[in-house]
Amino acid sequence: MKDLLLRLEPVIWVLFGAGILVGTMLITGWILIVGLAVPTGLVSADALAFGRAYGLASHFVGRLVLLGLIALPMWKGAHHMRHLSIDHGGAERDAVVAPILYGIATIGSIAAIVAVARL
Amino acid sequence: MSDAKTMKLVITRFDPDVDAVPRTQEYEIPVQPDWKVLDAVNFIKDEVDGTLSHRWSCRMAVCGSCGMMVNGEPKLTCKVALSDYGDELLIEPLANFPVVRDLVVEMEGFMDKFKSVKPWIITAKEMAAEEGTNRQSPAELEVFKQFSMCINCMLCYSACPVVANEPEFLGPAAIALGHRYNMDSRDEGQAERNEIFRGEGTVFSCSYANECSEVCPKNVDPAAAVNQAKLNAVIDWATGLVIPRKGP
Ligand code: FES
Repeated sequence: MKDLLLRLEPVIWVLFGAGILVGTMLITGWILIVGLAVPTGLVSADALAFGRAYGLASHFVGRLVLLGLIALPMWKGAHHMRHLSIDHGGAERDAVVAPILYGIATIGSIAAIVAVARL
Repeated sequence: MSDAKTMKLVITRFDPDVDAVPRTQEYEIPVQPDWKVLDAVNFIKDEVDGTLSHRWSCRMAVCGSCGMMVNGEPKLTCKVALSDYGDELLIEPLANFPVVRDLVVEMEGFMDKFKSVKPWIITAKEMAAEEGTNRQSPAELEVFKQFSMCINCMLCYSACPVVANEPEFLGPAAIALGHRYNMDSRDEGQAERNEIFRGEGTVFSCSYANECSEVCPKNVDPAAAVNQAKLNAVIDWATGLVIPRKGP
């Protein structure tokens, strides 16, 4: 398991890095729009009317963006929690913790792919 | 001497021949306003207690030998002013290292880590003297210069939470050193070092705590080096998938 984790490290790190990018930039923007701009009337609620939002989300590019928004932060979270576990004396249990965390991210990503494909 | 005040220094003592575990000893000494922390430790060694062991040499933040934990933080003691602290100071040997005696730590394993990243310029073919010198532009130098400013003081190892848990972790300074050569325009050893960097206990063991860069007294920013090294190791790995490597 240790060897496998080591060999997968470059892939995991890329997913993690992408997750940071998406998590810090896109989701912040998303929260600003949905949580602040629309409720305060800065942006008209019509902009997020179902028809428009659905049109955007079901477009090919829209689906890809949605997939990234949902799946990548899970990898960021999994990787961060794995290192948190190691930093708190979990080097020994890493062979168990890492597969569980990355497993959750993998299942979540597959679920996201299915959900986005069925939109 | 009129503006002299006194200060209490609590120092870790350990004599492997006598002590089973480290103990502390308190010293009340007169201090001068312009003293560095090292001056106070030297004063104790010279005037109060000659049995105290500690390392130092240049007194100008160049040799990297005077690192100690000052109030729990790794510091170059010749660089930090005593006046930055209150009336009492706790001085311990650098954390995450085996203690040889008092404030002196064992550095042997650390030196092996340095050697393992091949910190020299690797070229495919030696250049004959007649061919002239290897040229490097200021812009090419700028790419790695910062990472070459390390004085091997080991403060970053002392601050790193990963080193604390996994003593075999290659660590900030050694990775920064390997990265420094990888970024050198005269070097051709990137593939070899990237292979090392993808091994166990190297760049991907870093947990992004950034403590190394916080404590670095020379602004080397080893955390940046580690993360650039990660990216390079990934790019090198991905390139290897597309373009198979030539045999060794
Ligand atoms: S004595 Fe040389 S760095 Fe402090």
